[in-house]
Amino acid sequence: MNEAHEMIQVINLRKRFGRLWALDGVNLTVRKGQVIVIIGPSGSGKSTLLRCINHLETPTEGEIWIERQKITGNQKQLNSIRSQIGMVFQHFNLYPHLTVLENVTLAQRIVRKIPKSQAERIAMQHLERVGIADKARSYPAQLSGGQQQRVAIARALAQDPKIMLFDEPTSALDPEMIKEVLDVMLALADDGITMVVVTHEMGFARAAADEIIFMDYGKIVERATPERFFNQPAHERSRAFLSQILSH
Amino acid sequence: MAVKETLEAKQHIASPSLAGTDFKEKLRLFPWWIIGLVGVFVLTAHLILTRASYQDAFNFIRAGIGVTVQTTLIAYGLALILGLLTGLGRISHNVVIQNLGTLYVEVIRGVPMLVLIFFIAFVGVPAGVSLLNRLGEWFLQLGLLFIAQPLIQIENNAVPMTTRAIIALSVTYGAFQAEIFRAGIQSIGRGQMEAARAQGMTYWQAMRYIILPQAIRNVLPALGNDFVSMLKDSSLVSVLAVRDITQIAKLYAGRSFQYQEAYVTLAVLYLMMTVVLSALVKWLERRVRQDERST
Repeated sequence: MNEAHEMIQVINLRKRFGRLWALDGVNLTVRKGQVIVIIGPSGSGKSTLLRCINHLETPTEGEIWIERQKITGNQKQLNSIRSQIGMVFQHFNLYPHLTVLENVTLAQRIVRKIPKSQAERIAMQHLERVGIADKARSYPAQLSGGQQQRVAIARALAQDPKIMLFDEPTSALDPEMIKEVLDVMLALADDGITMVVVTHEMGFARAAADEIIFMDYGKIVERATPERFFNQPAHERSRAFLSQILSH
Repeated sequence: MAVKETLEAKQHIASPSLAGTDFKEKLRLFPWWIIGLVGVFVLTAHLILTRASYQDAFNFIRAGIGVTVQTTLIAYGLALILGLLTGLGRISHNVVIQNLGTLYVEVIRGVPMLVLIFFIAFVGVPAGVSLLNRLGEWFLQLGLLFIAQPLIQIENNAVPMTTRAIIALSVTYGAFQAEIFRAGIQSIGRGQMEAARAQGMTYWQAMRYIILPQAIRNVLPALGNDFVSMLKDSSLVSVLAVRDITQIAKLYAGRSFQYQEAYVTLAVLYLMMTVVLSALVKWLERRVRQDERST
C-alpha cells in the first residue's frame, strides 16, 4: 500500500455556507486502490467534503489535488479532471429523458468523443457488470430504485474513472433494494477501484473499507482501520456516535 | 322561504336517484359548448352562402389570411429564438447579461402591446437603422468596405411596415417566452445539472443535452398557448396599415358601410383559426403527458 501513489490530496480544506463552516480544516490523502468510507452524524460535512473533491462545491480555502493535478482554481482543466472522477448520488440523478443505454453513453460521446458504437459496447460491459444489461432500452422511470442506482454506477464506471465517489448511495432506497447496490459496490472494491464512500451502512464500511474516516462539525475526528474503529474507537465522539447507531 | 329552497336543493344533490345518476352525469359532462361553437360556424357559413352582402365581405376579407398567418409564423419563430436566449440570460451567472435580460422582460411587460407596436415601429426601428448606419461608417473607417457598404445603405424609409410589425411582435413576445423558458429550465431539479457537470460536461453541453430537452418538453403547452395568443394579437399590426385580415376588414367596412358583415366575418375567421390551433395544442399536451406516463 505504501508505494501506491496519491490519488486524492486534500490540504487544509475549508468551506463556508453563510456563517457556517461546513468544513473546517480538513486534510486527507487517498492512495490508489484504497477504499475510504466516511461516516459521521448528519451535518458533519461528509457530503460537502465529497462534493468538494470534484468541485461541485467550490472550496472557500485550501487545496485539492487529483493525481498531482491541482483542481482548486484550475477552471481550465476542471472538466477534464471531472471526467476522470465518477460520482454516484443519493437520488441517482439519471437523465429521465434518455434510455438506460443513452444515460451510460452520453458523456463518453460528448466529453471523451468516443464513437457511438464503441461507447455502446463499453456501456453494455458496465451494465452487465452491475447486472442490468437487460434494461438497456428502458427509461429510468421504468426501473426500481435499486436498478436505477446500479445504472448510475454503470454510468460513472463508463467514464473509466480513476476515482469513484459515492454520496450516500443507498439512503434513498427501500430496504429490500439496498443489498443489490451494496453487492455491486463490494465487487468494485474487490476490483481495486479507488473509492470514497459516504454512507450510513456500517456493514458495508466494515466489509469493504481500508480505512474509516469519522467526521464531526466539519473536521476529521478519527481515521482508523475498520477493526480499530468499530472495536476500540479512540475518540469520545466516535464512541458516542457508534453507541447511538449500533444500539438497536 | 329562500332558506327552505336551498335546503331542498341540497337534499336533492345529496341523494340523487341511483338509476338516473349515470345518464345525468353524462349529460353534465357533455361538452355542450362545442355545439354552440359549431352553431356559430354553421350560422356564419349559412349567411355567407345565402346573402350577397356577407359573400362580398368574406371574399374581400379572406385575402388577408395569408398576411395574418405569415406575420404570426415568422414573428413566432423569431420570438422563440429571442425568448430562449433571454431565458438563458435571465438565469446566467454573468451579472451584466442577467440584468440586461431582466430589464428587457420588465420593460416589455410594463408597456401595453398596442403602444409597444407603435414604439418599436416608429422609434425602435429608426434607432436601430441609424445604429447600423453608424456601425457601417465605423467599418468604413477601418477599411472594411464589404461590411460597411450594405450597413450604410440601409434606409429607415425603406423598411416596410410588415417588417416593422414582425419585429414589434417578436420583440414583445420574446419577453413573454423568455419567462416561459426560464420557468421551464428552473423546473428541472439541480441534480440533473450536477450529474452532468460531474461527468465532465461543460455548462452548455449540460444545457443542450440534459436540461433543455426536459425543460422544453415541460413548457410545450405554454408555448402552444402563446402561439394562439400571438395569432390574435397579430390583429394589432393593423394599426401599422399592414394588410392583415383586421386591416382589410376595416377597409372593407369603411368603403362599403357594411360594418356588421365585415366584423362578423372577421371575428368568425379568427375564432376558426384559434379553435383549430387550440385543438392542436391540446392534442400535443396530451401526447406529451402520455409519453411521460409510458416512460
